Amino acid sequence: MAKKVRLEDILKILERYDVLELEGVEIRGDFDIELTRRSAIPILLNALQQALKEQVAAQGVRVMQGVVQGGEGVPVVAQQQTTAMEATTEVEAVSAEEEKLVPAEFSAKREEWFGEIEEVTLGATRSEGGTRAKTVTIGGERALPFYNFDAPMKHPPVIAVDCFDMPIPLAKAVRVMYEDVMEDAGEWAKKNVEVFKADLVTIHLISTDPLIKDTSPREAAKTVEEVLQAVKVPIIIGGSGNPEKDPAVLEAAAEVASGERCLIASANLNMDYERIAKAAMSHGHAILSWTQLDINQQKTLNRYLLKMGVPRKSIVIDPTTAALGYGLDYAFTNIERIRISALKGDSDLAFPISCGVTNAWGAREAWMKASPIAEDSDWGPASLRGPLYEIITGLTLALAGGDMFMMMHPKAAMTVREVTRMLASADAEEGAEKESMSVKAEDWISWTGEEA
Amino acid sequence: MSGGEEEEPFPLDINPMYEGERVRKEQMFVELGGPKKPGFELVICEEEPENVSDGRVTLIGPDLSEMQEGESYAYAMIYKVYGKEVEKDLEAVLERRNHEFQSYIQGYMHLNQRADIWVRISKDAIRKGLKSLKQIAKATVMLYKSELPFIEKMEAIYITDEDEVLRRIKEAEAVYRARDEKARGLHDEDVDEFYQCTLCQSFAPTNVCVITPDRVALCGAMTWFDARASARIDPEGPNAPIPKGECIDPIGGEYTGVNEAAVRLSGGAYNSIKLHSFFEKPHTSCGCFEVAGFYIPEVDGIGWIHRGSKVTETPIGLPFSTIAASVGGGRQVEGFLGIGIQYFYSEKFIQADGGWRRVVWMPSDLKEKIIDAIPEEMRDKIATEKEARNIEELKEFLRKVNHPVVKGVIRPVDGVKITEGWGEVAEEAAAEEVAAKEVAEEAVKGAVATEKRAEEAAVSSATAEGAVERAEAVGGEAHAAEALAKPAVPATATVPASVSAGTLMIPITVDISALLPVLEALVRRAAESEGSVGGGGLKITFKDAEIRVGKVILKKSGREKKESG
Amino acid sequence: MRAKSPMDIYRLLPRTNCGECGEKTCMAFASLLLERKKNLDACPPLSEDKYASQREKIAELLAPEIREVVIGEGEKAVKIGGEDVLHRHELTFFNRTALFYDVWDTLPAEKLRERVQTITDWRKFYVGKFLRLNGVAIRSVSNDAKKFEECVKIVAEETDLPLALCSFSAKVIEAAISHVSERRPLIYAATERNWSSFIELARRYGVPVALFSPSLDKLTSLAVTFANKGVRDLVLDPGTLPTGKGLAETFAKFVKLRRAAISDGKKEVAYPLLSVPLVAWLTHKDPVEASYWEAVLACIFIIKYADIMILHGLEPHSLIVERTLVENIYTDPRKPVSVEPGLRIIGSPNENSPLFVTTNFALTYYTVESDISSSKIDSYLLVIDTGGLGVESAVAGGQLSADAVKDALERFGVEEKVKHKTMVLPGLAARISGETEDKTGWRVLVGPKDSGMIPRWMEKSWPPEWLS
Repeated sequence: MAKKVRLEDILKILERYDVLELEGVEIRGDFDIELTRRSAIPILLNALQQALKEQVAAQGVRVMQGVVQGGEGVPVVAQQQTTAMEATTEVEAVSAEEEKLVPAEFSAKREEWFGEIEEVTLGATRSEGGTRAKTVTIGGERALPFYNFDAPMKHPPVIAVDCFDMPIPLAKAVRVMYEDVMEDAGEWAKKNVEVFKADLVTIHLISTDPLIKDTSPREAAKTVEEVLQAVKVPIIIGGSGNPEKDPAVLEAAAEVASGERCLIASANLNMDYERIAKAAMSHGHAILSWTQLDINQQKTLNRYLLKMGVPRKSIVIDPTTAALGYGLDYAFTNIERIRISALKGDSDLAFPISCGVTNAWGAREAWMKASPIAEDSDWGPASLRGPLYEIITGLTLALAGGDMFMMMHPKAAMTVREVTRMLASADAEEGAEKESMSVKAEDWISWTGEEA
Repeated sequence: MSGGEEEEPFPLDINPMYEGERVRKEQMFVELGGPKKPGFELVICEEEPENVSDGRVTLIGPDLSEMQEGESYAYAMIYKVYGKEVEKDLEAVLERRNHEFQSYIQGYMHLNQRADIWVRISKDAIRKGLKSLKQIAKATVMLYKSELPFIEKMEAIYITDEDEVLRRIKEAEAVYRARDEKARGLHDEDVDEFYQCTLCQSFAPTNVCVITPDRVALCGAMTWFDARASARIDPEGPNAPIPKGECIDPIGGEYTGVNEAAVRLSGGAYNSIKLHSFFEKPHTSCGCFEVAGFYIPEVDGIGWIHRGSKVTETPIGLPFSTIAASVGGGRQVEGFLGIGIQYFYSEKFIQADGGWRRVVWMPSDLKEKIIDAIPEEMRDKIATEKEARNIEELKEFLRKVNHPVVKGVIRPVDGVKITEGWGEVAEEAAAEEVAAKEVAEEAVKGAVATEKRAEEAAVSSATAEGAVERAEAVGGEAHAAEALAKPAVPATATVPASVSAGTLMIPITVDISALLPVLEALVRRAAESEGSVGGGGLKITFKDAEIRVGKVILKKSGREKKESG
Repeated sequence: MRAKSPMDIYRLLPRTNCGECGEKTCMAFASLLLERKKNLDACPPLSEDKYASQREKIAELLAPEIREVVIGEGEKAVKIGGEDVLHRHELTFFNRTALFYDVWDTLPAEKLRERVQTITDWRKFYVGKFLRLNGVAIRSVSNDAKKFEECVKIVAEETDLPLALCSFSAKVIEAAISHVSERRPLIYAATERNWSSFIELARRYGVPVALFSPSLDKLTSLAVTFANKGVRDLVLDPGTLPTGKGLAETFAKFVKLRRAAISDGKKEVAYPLLSVPLVAWLTHKDPVEASYWEAVLACIFIIKYADIMILHGLEPHSLIVERTLVENIYTDPRKPVSVEPGLRIIGSPNENSPLFVTTNFALTYYTVESDISSSKIDSYLLVIDTGGLGVESAVAGGQLSADAVKDALERFGVEEKVKHKTMVLPGLAARISGETEDKTGWRVLVGPKDSGMIPRWMEKSWPPEWLS
């Protein structure tokens, strides 16, 4: 029954019957709009579409796809009004040559989170009962790392540089930095602060390990004292990792450092964490809650600590750091998940995060002289690889939610500090700003290369 | 915890590293229980604290010093336990721990459980100073108490006198039977709380396992009782209670408490779970499920395949591994479900979808294993790879045995018919329903197409003349220019600015009069750009159009006439 | 992607189970489509007219939130974009950030060839395969069409890697593109000044085109305009600034663009993003400083949403960390990374050295191997194929079993190398120790739960009495 009827025919019919007007005409069905010309059409096509859109939008309907190009169907229920519309104003024709960019605006929604990360302050000044020159505060985030457009980052990440209570074997690139101070923990700590600009210092009491030197807790405490006297930044105190020895060592250390609000490293499920946490609490220190790449274990340990009465402002999480190439993806995702969970409202995980970035040196690419694989391209000098491995490991975890980085190589420490502070918009360092402003994003294309 | 004659420290090392230790015949001093002699282990939770004498160890029968090297003896280990938080329901859980703890003892091998226990003590252990079974009992009790702090009092009675063991073994077996029956008889309705398990969340962050009496954990490792005990032991651990709340849907198994937990634990990924439904808001899985279920649309039935099945191909053509990928990851995926093998035995096994009456296929090795779970009426109606390896064969088989899916499944739990069956008409209707459902949000065709009219009105204004004709009626350039000059719809509007070959499929009302001016201008511009008035332009074709006219107003008379073209 | 389950797709397929796609049923095909393991093109019936609208709907359901763009042809072609989520643990990231390294047209021919070769040949072995670089970006420094053309010709001869032709002048690009048009190069870049000629080029040669503007509004405008004209293989560059506030702003732009596309559903900007860590070389004069800073920028944008980046430094340390980081971030977090099973030699073991056993879960393996070798313990390490699962899971799931150990001993000819037939199982596998002894006939010692305790364990428990 398909019949083709043309407008002209209809008009003729209407004429014949002396029809003046048609009111309430409804045309139901699919209609195609076909254009047989292309040039200069798109703009008008667009206008057509805008017009359609406006009508559609006015009806609160969401349109999925675009309209009209070369014969596609637009099934709509159309209503035609036939009241005459008069031509009104004269408008000058739009020039056909001048093509314009389709105007558009960009916007992205702001993300608001329910939760907030605790703020933990390390170090105590004289008025607070300690002898530190300054305190360091981490945490307090209300948004993802460096997302200042959602909520400004209250505290930029901080760097803690390691020192040990005895000389230890180190990759060459690191050893050369510390050769002159390795025999003396105090001197070592001093260099970290004065030369390498550490925000905090971590003193690792590894000599207390029964398999290494089995130094007594009392001697360990003396070392801690030395360090406290040598530098005026907040201190992190680490045991040897030996589960039988650490509780006693950390107890002694906590005692001698009473009032200085150190970070005691660490409470973990492999040892008598209750004893360690108690010692931290009774001397006003904060406690590092350390688990191994397991978000549920982290929640569990945190809950144990909270149950024991550890104040929320005294917990820092260490979810374990794996080196670039050796599990960094696990560490990264674990931290991202912890931070996102916390921001979603999980208070068991809403604590600042510390990362043992020194672990990056465990990657063999960080220290090995050359590749053991014959077909590998040249690895270049180890002295350049190691620090970069440490930088990238640290920076990656900063982007996941790390607030504090325990690091070794000074170049790495300073670089991570620099870039994270930039991302956090923490400094208005004039020099860097001027330099940065002198560069335009498009300049790279015509850059003449290093020879210039 | 003394009370024994010896004050010496326990002579053997106790460490989880000895868990898998085997004592071989040549190394063994004596064998207790095992294939040759009767034996059993039993934990009794006493209600009254007076009934348990804390730390007491009683031995009935010969001790090690009276035993002959290389011989086998009867062996019973009975423990009486009291604690305010210890319930009778925890007996089985505590009993299983005996195996775990005793395995940790160096030189002492413990295999199996209940009345199947098989113990061997090595010569080495004797050499190291093990003199009496009472020492073993004491050490075991010590392990229990240090691991499970809610045990306040514990007493051990060991029996090596064969007659006495034989006398008591019947009682023990009765206890086991009663427990099993009770466990089977305990249902979701009977308890106030379920338990969550987040052990696997490391691998599937949005996965939330809800363990109930009628729904065992999909990894197979935990029953509701196990989870309950675990929650007692370590309330900060992975198993925490989920208070049921109100029951929203008794057939599907939906509870307000569970839904609330779902939101919380999945990070908002989903907000409700129907515990016993395959299709609607199904329970999610991590990767640990024992069995994967998959929907076979061609027969409107459900197939199952378990991890490690010898059968590699299912009738839908996918192996376990690919199905597993669709099931896991903590997502609610329509048409797929991961479960634990014990769930087959649950009386609520996918009851929302017809339970066993909806099951059409499983590999033969699985079917054999769980044949007892399948109601007799269905046993011969469920195909395996022996009867059907592809859809055609499956269809044939199901027709032959007159499987419920063929004519339509009547759900056992409430007698309601929930599927239509395969009938020719039914299939088409189903297909159409599906298509319509899919397109509902976007397409207009559904409603309009069914009112197809044969009329086709083609409006063609192939020439600028035509356009001019209508210019008087509708305006003209002005409108076009206006449209151009208007500020663009900001990109943030819900309407994308792209012009593409695409189809707008939404029922809306379009005011053509507003469009016509632009169309005018289009044609005019087209014509102008060619420098000629004729040639090229605009063609509007109405397909299958129904034109209704409300009113026709005639020139001469005032007569009104309704006309439909 | 909007499809949530194979059923969403199944409903729109022909449902005839014709098998032409290679799968037995349409359901199976739907599952594989969802997993991105098969393409819609594999279903010939779908290309028939009567299925046109279904095909379209399926394509829409399967389309990733971010458009996927292909650069290059053949084996070495790179796919960029195609992402669905903002965080890898929500699902996975799909396409690795493509790393393109630069050459420029004022380089003398010899140096040019050398540089191209270095980029093309670079490789690093990692977890069972060699990592490679993805493409060469050719910059027009001279702004001379002829020079650029010459340069591109030489590059095209020296490498089969995908190319990016970089100039703001369409004329310059045009001069060169005809020589490489079948190689589907990326042309960089259209701006608010030159866009219409770039649309021209993109259409004529059917190549993907980059759009550049530091203004997000203008960038959106460009994207919309191009898409309107049917050019949809787009890559967006909001401009990369190397330091200070500029860097923070660049960071914000990338996050916002990706968020708008994925969370807010703004299709008009749902295209792959391009970043230029190379800019580090504009503010750092010392090559080591510059290469370090470039790697720092690369790190930031590998993680925050750059789908392709243009770099300069070919220093080994930079290439290794950049390419390794991409590999780490873009592995599928749902699939545990595994290493090759086999018998490893650590140090110089002799007939009295211990044999340790572990699984082929990469994390476990690296940790164990590292703990043993850093303690300088000469030994053998037998790596069992547990499908990439760690010890605890594999013991629970049965992948690490007495039988698996037996198979591994046979498969890798261990008995020929380790005569004492004593093995050390990980502490977490204590459960299978007895059974393993029974099945293999070897003696089994149970080692510590944590491989870090191995040195301590060695002091107490090695050598066992039957070997001392």
